[in-house]
Amino acid sequence: MYGWIWRHLPGNVYVRILISTVLVVGVVFLLFQYVFPWAEPMLPFNDVTVDGAAEPLGTPRAGGAA
Amino acid sequence: MSERERESADKAVDRGEPAEAPQEDPETPDELETSEGPGELRDSAGPDEQKDPAASGEGADGGSVRRGRVAVAVGVFGELLITAGLVLALFVVYSLWWTNVLADRQAKKESDRVREHWAADRGPGDLDTRDGIGFLHVPSMSEKDILVKKGTDPKELNQGIAGYYTKPVKSALPQDQSGNFSLAAHRDGHGAKFHDIDKIDKGDAIVFETKNTWYVYKVFETLPQTSKYNVDVLDAVPKGSGKKARGRYITLTTCTPVYTSKYRYIVWGELVRTQDVDEDRTAPAELR
Repeated sequence: MYGWIWRHLPGNVYVRILISTVLVVGVVFLLFQYVFPWAEPMLPFNDVTVDGAAEPLGTPRAGGAA
Repeated sequence: MSERERESADKAVDRGEPAEAPQEDPETPDELETSEGPGELRDSAGPDEQKDPAASGEGADGGSVRRGRVAVAVGVFGELLITAGLVLALFVVYSLWWTNVLADRQAKKESDRVREHWAADRGPGDLDTRDGIGFLHVPSMSEKDILVKKGTDPKELNQGIAGYYTKPVKSALPQDQSGNFSLAAHRDGHGAKFHDIDKIDKGDAIVFETKNTWYVYKVFETLPQTSKYNVDVLDAVPKGSGKKARGRYITLTTCTPVYTSKYRYIVWGELVRTQDVDEDRTAPAELR
C-alpha cells in the first residue's frame, strides 16, 4: 500500500519525501479537525456528569454522551 | 542519492524522460523490479514468475503467483493494522493534548471577556450569565481559576470550563438562600479542569468569584467513586453527603478513574461566608 503510493509519486527521492510529508500532515489535519471530533462523543472516555437515572438502566439516551 | 545519480536524474529530465529512469541502477534492485510492472499485484509476483518457468512446469508457476498474491494481501493487511495503530495513537494525542490546547485557548478568551465586562461594569447586577457567571477557585486542585457557565452538555464543557447543572437536577446558584450549586467539568482533555479533583481533602476551601461577591465554601465530604446514575448527589440536600438539612452547598462532579468514564467523583462543600469584592478584587484569605 505505502510502497505503491511511494512508487506512484512523481519526482526524485527528495520531491517524494516532500510530497509524502505533505500527505501525512494533511491526513493528520483531517483526523484532528474532522474525524476525531466526530468520533469522540461516541467513545466512553469523557463523560463527566451524573445523569441517566431518569430512565431505566440500560436505556440508550438521546444525545449519547454524559 | 549520490551526486552521480542526481546528475543522471537531471539529464533524464533534460531529455524529457521520467525521473525514475536513473533508479534503474544495479544498486537498487528492488525499485528496478517493482517499477517495471504496471500494478502492485504484478509487481510483487513478477520476480517469481520470471524465475519459476525455468525451474518447473505450469502448475508450480500458478501456485507461486497465488502465493505472491497472498503475500501481497497479507502485506496490505499488515500495513492497514499498522495504520490503525498509528491512528489510535494519534487519537490519544488528540484527546489528552490537542483538546486541552483548544479548550484552554477558548476558555482564556471567554474568561478575559467576562473580566472585561465586569471591569466595565456592564453586567446585570451581581451575576452576568451571558458569557459565564463567575470563576471557581480551588487552590488544592488547581492554581488557575475556572470559568463557570450554564449547562453541562459536552458542547459547553468542551470549551474548557465548568458548567452548572440544568438537568437532571437543576442547580441552585450561589446567591440563592438555600440549595446546591452543582458543577461538572472534564477530568481529562478539553481543558481537564477537574483533573486533580482527588487532591481535594476535607476542610479545603472552594471559592466562587462573581462580579461583586466572593463565596467561600469549605469541603465537608468527598465521594471518590459512585455510579453515573447516582443523580441524588445533586439534590438540594445531597444524598450521601451526610447532610440532613437544607443549606448552601456546592457539588463538584467529574469522571473517575482518570482517563476513563466508568464512575463519578464527587466533592461537597458548604458555604462558610461571603465577602464583598473590593475595588482591587482582593482575594479572600483562603486564596492567598
